[in-house]
Amino acid sequence: MGEYKLLLRHSHDPAYATLDGYQRLGGYEGLRKALSMDRQQVIDEVKTSGLRGRGGAGFPAWIKWNGLPKQKTKPHYLICNADEGEPGTFKDKQLMETCPFLVVEGMTIAAYATQADVGYIYIRGEFVDAARSMRRAIDEAYRAGLLGKNILGAGMDFELHIHTGAGSYECGEESALMSSLMGERGMPRLKFPHAPLPTISGLWDSPTLINNVETYACAPFILSNGGAWYASIGASTKNSRGTKIFSVSGHVRKPGNYEVEFGTPLMELLELAGGMKGGALKACVPGGSSVPILDAEACQKAIIGYEEMMEVGSMVGSGGCMFLNEHTDIVEFIWRTSMFYKDESCGKCTPCREGTRWMFLILDRIKAGQGRPEDLQLLEDVCRQIDGRSFCGLGDAAAWPVAGALKVFRHEFEHYVRHGRSLVARG
Amino acid sequence: MARKTDAPPVNITINGIDLQVPKGELIVESVKRLGLEIPIFCYHPRMKPVGMCRMCLVEVGMKQPDGSVRKMPKPQAACTLPASEGLVIFTDTEQIHKDRKGVLEFLLINHPLDCPICDRGGECPLQNNTLFYGPSTSRFVEMKRHAVKAYPLSKHVTLDLERCIQCGRCVRFTEEISGDAQLAFRHRGAEMQPVTFELEEFTSKFSGNTIEICPVGALTSSHYRFRARPWDLETAPGICTMCSNGCNVWFDRRKGKLVRINGRTNEAVNEEWTCDKGKFGTDWMNNPRRASDVKVRRGDGFSRADWAEAYAEILERFREGGHEVAGLAGPMLSNEDLYLLRRMFDETFGSSNLDHRMTSVQGPAVEPPSFTIEGLEDEKGAFVFGASLSDESPIVYLRLRKAWYRQGARICVATSRPDDADAFAAVSVRYPQGGEAEFLRSLVAELRVQLEGGRSFGELADLASTLLETRGPILATESLWNLDQAGEVLAQLRLAAELLGVSLNVMALGANGQGAEELGVRPDAFDRTGLGTRQILEACADGRIRALWLAGVDPFEAFPDRSLVQRALENVEYLVVQTALETEAAAYASVVLPITAPGESDGSFTNVERRVQAFEKAVDPPAEAKPAWRVFSELMVRAEPRTPHFSAREILAEIAREVPAFQGVEWSAARDGGVLLGARRPLSRARS
Repeated sequence: MGEYKLLLRHSHDPAYATLDGYQRLGGYEGLRKALSMDRQQVIDEVKTSGLRGRGGAGFPAWIKWNGLPKQKTKPHYLICNADEGEPGTFKDKQLMETCPFLVVEGMTIAAYATQADVGYIYIRGEFVDAARSMRRAIDEAYRAGLLGKNILGAGMDFELHIHTGAGSYECGEESALMSSLMGERGMPRLKFPHAPLPTISGLWDSPTLINNVETYACAPFILSNGGAWYASIGASTKNSRGTKIFSVSGHVRKPGNYEVEFGTPLMELLELAGGMKGGALKACVPGGSSVPILDAEACQKAIIGYEEMMEVGSMVGSGGCMFLNEHTDIVEFIWRTSMFYKDESCGKCTPCREGTRWMFLILDRIKAGQGRPEDLQLLEDVCRQIDGRSFCGLGDAAAWPVAGALKVFRHEFEHYVRHGRSLVARG
Repeated sequence: MARKTDAPPVNITINGIDLQVPKGELIVESVKRLGLEIPIFCYHPRMKPVGMCRMCLVEVGMKQPDGSVRKMPKPQAACTLPASEGLVIFTDTEQIHKDRKGVLEFLLINHPLDCPICDRGGECPLQNNTLFYGPSTSRFVEMKRHAVKAYPLSKHVTLDLERCIQCGRCVRFTEEISGDAQLAFRHRGAEMQPVTFELEEFTSKFSGNTIEICPVGALTSSHYRFRARPWDLETAPGICTMCSNGCNVWFDRRKGKLVRINGRTNEAVNEEWTCDKGKFGTDWMNNPRRASDVKVRRGDGFSRADWAEAYAEILERFREGGHEVAGLAGPMLSNEDLYLLRRMFDETFGSSNLDHRMTSVQGPAVEPPSFTIEGLEDEKGAFVFGASLSDESPIVYLRLRKAWYRQGARICVATSRPDDADAFAAVSVRYPQGGEAEFLRSLVAELRVQLEGGRSFGELADLASTLLETRGPILATESLWNLDQAGEVLAQLRLAAELLGVSLNVMALGANGQGAEELGVRPDAFDRTGLGTRQILEACADGRIRALWLAGVDPFEAFPDRSLVQRALENVEYLVVQTALETEAAAYASVVLPITAPGESDGSFTNVERRVQAFEKAVDPPAEAKPAWRVFSELMVRAEPRTPHFSAREILAEIAREVPAFQGVEWSAARDGGVLLGARRPLSRARS
């Protein structure tokens, strides 16, 4: 339980971002081992590890890896989703800046397992340092024969490219990311059951594996130490294995990335971050701005784990954990969140395009003291009209925080519409 | 989209009713089999489904092995959901009614609701869906989104951004159907707008279709804007006269005046599309230069006359005129006009100097086209030679593009200038202007080499090998007769067609150019001998022909050699000009006879694929204008007693009796979809 530095173990060491340093500290053992196994064994190892997607949805990684055709008829593509845009999340940024080879090695392992020919790292445009760090790492790996033709003399070819985004949150959604990568407008594409899975038909209608940075970065450890070893970490949870990096921010003394074992209580994460600052804990958004907000009471009970977090009404999400102290105006907090989603809706589907703007306008009016009692019901209805009706998850992500806050902190909203001002005195 | 499918059937259930549909059929289409309707905005059967508007949400479940139904937690868009075994669909549940209300409420919060002054009001999908499925009131009290109103995207299309519901139909049309991709979305979220790139002019040759498929009044016709309300309009089925493709259209009139032309669905011809030339290029419509009176020359000027006076004068000059009289026929004359025109020249004037061709050279007759527009979709390729299809045959162009877009057909293009079809052509080759014959000789040589197992290098070799692999029809237009070496070009094209074992199609360009060929409006038809257009004009110029009849044609506009036309019209003793507009040629006339313009009479055209299509009168002709056939019929009766013709239908029936190619053509069938002439052979193997 508690902090478990696996991915971030050497993140403080500048040498870890160089190939020499990385290999000295155990790097590329995973790939070497993978190349000595057959492809299916690699996938089975990932299956044993219980690794789940770290981008937010927590989908079992091995199912995706296993989903690409074994008989290759088209090129296979690999995508690393590094468009870390979820407000409150900054783990991928640090991983790419300080441990770029983990990502490169992880992707190479995945490429071997899925017979991918070409990989793309889609990096959020603002992450210039991360892109530079990845660039340096990729160049070094190419020079050392760890990328390109005949990797490590094992007859495996893999090209790896970097693509930087142009500033759209929506492009972190995997199908919109693929649209963007193909030069189209960053809008989501049809998904199963309306279209084949990306593992069958993704980028350029070819089989494509897409995973988060952190997911790929886990692969070297799973391969070098074995899936069973990885699965032993976090074994106290229902179905979450390994470690998870949380980007802790908000009213805490030591904000930053903390890697913890699954099964760690949420409050322990808060302690790692130095505890609350400027007042007692009031609420926590544990997994990035789109997950429902938890009040202090729920925080006490919350255990970090995909299912465990659902039990208290929120989600692990991408691990963007914001702790808010007692002086936080929840209405304003939600107003700001909702402004983000209004700005970032891509405009494709009606519920998200129109609904996010409407929600924001209502919240804006409430915050300005012009709220009406019926607005809270209206907000709830709008959330319901978006949730599950939108084309992709962005609509849901925009509705959940509002609906969540309306449930947990309804009294604050009621105070606003009744008195035209906030319940909390500014600290 | 509902083309023949060989997908295996699957069992699905819709609202408790079991049915079988082809696997993969979209649920939005499947429900139509039960006579149900799912409301839509963004879905269009001719374009790829996108699932943007969320109007078509349905509840979906899967039949479990034990017979129970497991419902999916979220409603699904029916427009993107393919049918699969055991799918259970609910379109009529409490939840779905709520969801539809929700989507409509969202769509309406920013829609201006200016229906009382909107062109679309009365024929608006948003209005209709709101009435059927929407909430009666809105809970939206904030400021509506404001955007540009009445922005002229082009001289034809005006955009009202406030009304836009961002369904993307117009954007997808330019990407998928017309292929020019001129419209795109800019900005995102609630600010998203469909516009041209950098707001430059919307110059698509098919832009008018976006107006028709817009489910609100966001894209409007600059010409029709505020001219009428849909419920004031009366309409008649028409055939477009702007080219030989024969698009089915609706002529909409208000108070006896044509106000707009909309596409009419005919799957075999234009599907539902029109080109901008057909939709907006209607200079005859309500034109102030309209010829409406009978006029005869008196000294230096004209004076009004009645028909009897004009007929008497004309008969004096033309009757039994033999080789001293001649006629030229225009591209918009109907089958009925042309049939009686030829009979009048044969029987009353005793002349074979009659032609409809306005190309520089009049060559021997060419075998009629044997491709079908719809059939192009099933071709593996086609060879477009020397034609700019997007201008000359826009609907054939759209089908070829569709064949490429949907089935991956490999289209080969050989022209002297860059062409729109280059964008999707598998091979495009340029030859120098004037070098057509030489180019074709090389191509034929290369085809021979490759048929014997060899191969040269370069684009010509690529062209030849693609042609040999695809074996699609050769498409050229009658404009090849304007080339210096037209005869040689045609001979080489025939050789190429023979080597490839494919059909050679020389497509007519005028609305009824093919009809004129079929009905023998040419001097060498039916074993006669007379003069062709150029010879007629030359004979007029040097006085061998004393009287010329211009039936619905202005050779100044149509014939390439302007100075010859001028000499001819100046020197011919007597000139009959039968016209709908005050043309340049009319100034030289001895008699001007007003004829009906498109939409003013019944009749039929034969289009480029030899499809006879009837059209009906939409508006009354002005003043004394008459259909051309009526003039011919009246003159023939005056020349010798006989039964006059009373209607276009009657003449078409006579044509069906008298002209072998038209055997079996009936008016009703010609009006409802059209009748193809001649037994159709399989497309690619037409010639052996």
